[in-house]
Amino acid sequence: MTTTDHGVGDAVAARTGESALSAHRLVFSREGRMIIDGVDIDLPVGSFGAVIGPNGAGKSTLLQLMVGTLPIQSGTVVFDGDDVLALKRRDRARLVALSEQHGDGDTGLRVRDVVLLGRTPHIGRWSAEGPDDRRIGADALAAVGMTAFADRPFDTLSGGERQRVHLARALAQEPKLLLLDEPTNHLDVRAQLSLLSLVRAQTAAGLTAVAALHDLNIAAAYADAVIVLSAGRVVAAGPAASVLTGDLISEVYGVRADVLEHPRTGRPLIAFDTT
Amino acid sequence: MTATAAPPPRTARRVGPAVRRVPTAVWGGVLSVVLLLSIVVTVTFGPADIRPAEVWGSVLGHVGLDPTLFGGEVLSPLRDGIVWELRMPRVLTAAAVGAGLALAGTVMQAITRNPLADPYLLGLSSGASLGAVAVILLGLGVLLPVAAFAGAIAALLATLLLAGASGTLTPTRTVLAGLAVSSFFGALTSLVIFWSATGDTYREILSWLLGSLSGARWPAVAIALGALLIVGLPLMLTGRTLDAFAFGDQAASALGVGVDSTRWLLLTATALLTGGMVAVSGSIGFVGLILPHAVRLVAGPRNRIVLPLSALAGAIFLIWIDTGARTLFDPRELPVGILTAVVGAPVFALLLFRARRIS
Amino acid sequence: MTSLSRFRSLRSVALLGTAAAVFAATGCAASPTTAPSPDAADPASSYPLTVENCGTEVTFDKAPEKVLTVKSTSTEMLLALGLGDRIIGQAFPDGPVPASLGGDDVPVISDKVPGQEAVLDLEPDLVYAGWESAFAADAAGDRATLGDLGVNTYVSPAACKEAGRPDTLAFDDVFDQITEMGAIFDVSAAAATLVDEQRAELETISPVDGLSALWYSSGSDTPYVGAGSGAPQMIMDAVGLTNIAAGVDDSWTPFNWEAVVDANPDVIVLVVSDWGTAEKKIGVLESNPATAKLDAVVNERYVTVPFAATEGGVRNVEAATTLADQLEALGL
Repeated sequence: MTTTDHGVGDAVAARTGESALSAHRLVFSREGRMIIDGVDIDLPVGSFGAVIGPNGAGKSTLLQLMVGTLPIQSGTVVFDGDDVLALKRRDRARLVALSEQHGDGDTGLRVRDVVLLGRTPHIGRWSAEGPDDRRIGADALAAVGMTAFADRPFDTLSGGERQRVHLARALAQEPKLLLLDEPTNHLDVRAQLSLLSLVRAQTAAGLTAVAALHDLNIAAAYADAVIVLSAGRVVAAGPAASVLTGDLISEVYGVRADVLEHPRTGRPLIAFDTT
Repeated sequence: MTATAAPPPRTARRVGPAVRRVPTAVWGGVLSVVLLLSIVVTVTFGPADIRPAEVWGSVLGHVGLDPTLFGGEVLSPLRDGIVWELRMPRVLTAAAVGAGLALAGTVMQAITRNPLADPYLLGLSSGASLGAVAVILLGLGVLLPVAAFAGAIAALLATLLLAGASGTLTPTRTVLAGLAVSSFFGALTSLVIFWSATGDTYREILSWLLGSLSGARWPAVAIALGALLIVGLPLMLTGRTLDAFAFGDQAASALGVGVDSTRWLLLTATALLTGGMVAVSGSIGFVGLILPHAVRLVAGPRNRIVLPLSALAGAIFLIWIDTGARTLFDPRELPVGILTAVVGAPVFALLLFRARRIS
Repeated sequence: MTSLSRFRSLRSVALLGTAAAVFAATGCAASPTTAPSPDAADPASSYPLTVENCGTEVTFDKAPEKVLTVKSTSTEMLLALGLGDRIIGQAFPDGPVPASLGGDDVPVISDKVPGQEAVLDLEPDLVYAGWESAFAADAAGDRATLGDLGVNTYVSPAACKEAGRPDTLAFDDVFDQITEMGAIFDVSAAAATLVDEQRAELETISPVDGLSALWYSSGSDTPYVGAGSGAPQMIMDAVGLTNIAAGVDDSWTPFNWEAVVDANPDVIVLVVSDWGTAEKKIGVLESNPATAKLDAVVNERYVTVPFAATEGGVRNVEAATTLADQLEALGL
């Protein structure tokens, strides 16, 4: 699945017979600078893709383009046959959810309320939330392991706890495509692993997930496919084992590394050369 | 590794037990009852010495029921006029205006994500003042509501044009544009006042600028109630949309809310609502700013809950304050805007103090 | 009714003039209030003359010759004392000076309170104001500053804000002011005869009995009315009207319609001016559904009085007699 040419998404679908997430020639520029310069992404449904790359590569921007909060200048995003960006905003929000970091101000909301915000696209504009919505919210909270925090004021949570609540909010949207922007920031090791296991559990159940990650090892350990972004372009895409090589890392990140194999999982393990 | 157990909740930074909130429905019910009682009670207060039984009797008589139901005598046409033409419309207008201003304030604070926002943020009060002052000085007092409303809308258009000039209507631009328009219209108003006002018109103008319900008759009730029902009621139902803005524009957009269009719509609706209130009562301050906070302190910050409760609380608040304004210094009347600030600020400080101890 | 009162005051002025001439000729002088002089015909004031005015001491070295008047009451006072030639200009008039006082040729130098520089430019030796607020730094200048620059200042005692204000204005206070003016300007004889004439005119009023009145000065949503301690009360007392707002200790006060309707005054006194005509006030009363039912409104029991005559000054007596005549015409 290593490709930077267009038209491959169709080839994937044809080859595997599955529907896919197919982002095609995405372009976005701001104030004359090309931030995203012709990016393609192809992922089968139910897989976990990790977008990695150095700071400023455009990872966050890419996710925002895909969820429609930034206006794309050219290109398409097709998911399971639907043109995502042509959908009405509300319909899109039922399909795609974005979990991101927030420089949170003083919201005053309780954790339960924050998660329920995720039900917004599903509840009629003038209606109240119903018992179904509350149940889904509770399930989402349970999925991230934060049920005990339900009545706590959101603003009293630590950064890591907030991250999980944001994820729960995204899950409450019942999306088919889950986008995560640096979900492991502020989390300690155990929490990071736990969160990503959670994402894998969701993808195993049919959710398609794309996460922007900065930690190469984490990405290698959990993702089905890795998309390497640099200066707004896809440098390489495919299974971590084939994409992550010492040369690539050196070219993209400017650091020396050796790619080993994890003794138990068999996944790539990147050892950075600190000399 | 599939660690699905959550890390144990940190107890070191607990700030107290989670606040058990009283259900919204209870609050709504209680406030509604209090509102009804407030209307019934305050209409019996006033400089004229009329017994409550006779006051209620007068009201009953006008709605087609038996005036002697509570044992009072039927009032003379003159004294009946006091109750039905002066007190009743005034109390009802106070309720409608209080509800409208509190509602508008809540929406403004949510849209601009600024706790200091009030209904007059978009330059509305300055624009209305200019219209009102011009009409007062030209001696066309009867056009006051129309001129005030027109002034408010003119200011709104100026603000929206200014704020939306770059394309997107961000909270910051809105606030700043509102400030600019306020200053401009305020300066014009001051100029007009200084240039043409005499002793008598100064008083009328001051009374209007401070906010006064002394001119509230049945037409004012129609205007205020009309604005509240036509614009205020739909606004009250936008709580969910407002809540979606809790984490900023991006998150709201990702939740399916059309950020720009929603903001334009809400701002315009708020301005119409506020304009309607200002047209009838002048710029009564404080209600739209503080009452939403007071409600949030007690019932939580979710706009779906705060909106209707603010409306109820605002109505109750203004009814009582206005009753004070017209009876405390009997037979002199105070512009109600003075009292809203004098009374409201300490009450709010008290609420703030108590809330600190709880959470 | 105004023509009748005008005629009466014209007659009074003619009488005054004749009386003054006769008295001067026969050397029969009214009693002076300041330093009496051996010359019985025209008691001269002795300078320097110091008066206490609204808490400020003002010293006159000689009779002022270049006076700037602010507000109609000041202008009218000087004209009534025959001092029109000493007025260099009037500012902030409340209405045209009545022809009986012959004020057409007094130039109006400003429609509102003039600024300090404009005042000094005229080089007055006295600024005589009907309202104390005229003497503020952002208005004509504060009294101390003007005094230092050699400009004396004087405020109508009836309008003093704190010190020097009579607790309850009475005609004697007004007459005292006339007398004091006479002393300041060294026209004590004219002052005395004016006072006598006004007293006499007051005597001619036969007060009505048992009528209540609202003194409606301005305002529509909140009426501004004559209260219990100022010129309106004084005039109503002279005429025999009971002021429904007498309980408020002030010259004028913001009131409320409910209290008006509750009191149901027998007659309504409308204060008329260019900006507040009788028609406008009647319109307010009739369009307010509560006041529209008042006996006085239904039966159109209105009497009018010009605004300038309702502040403490030489026209108060005329206002009182005017009202008395109108009440008589209404059959009350």
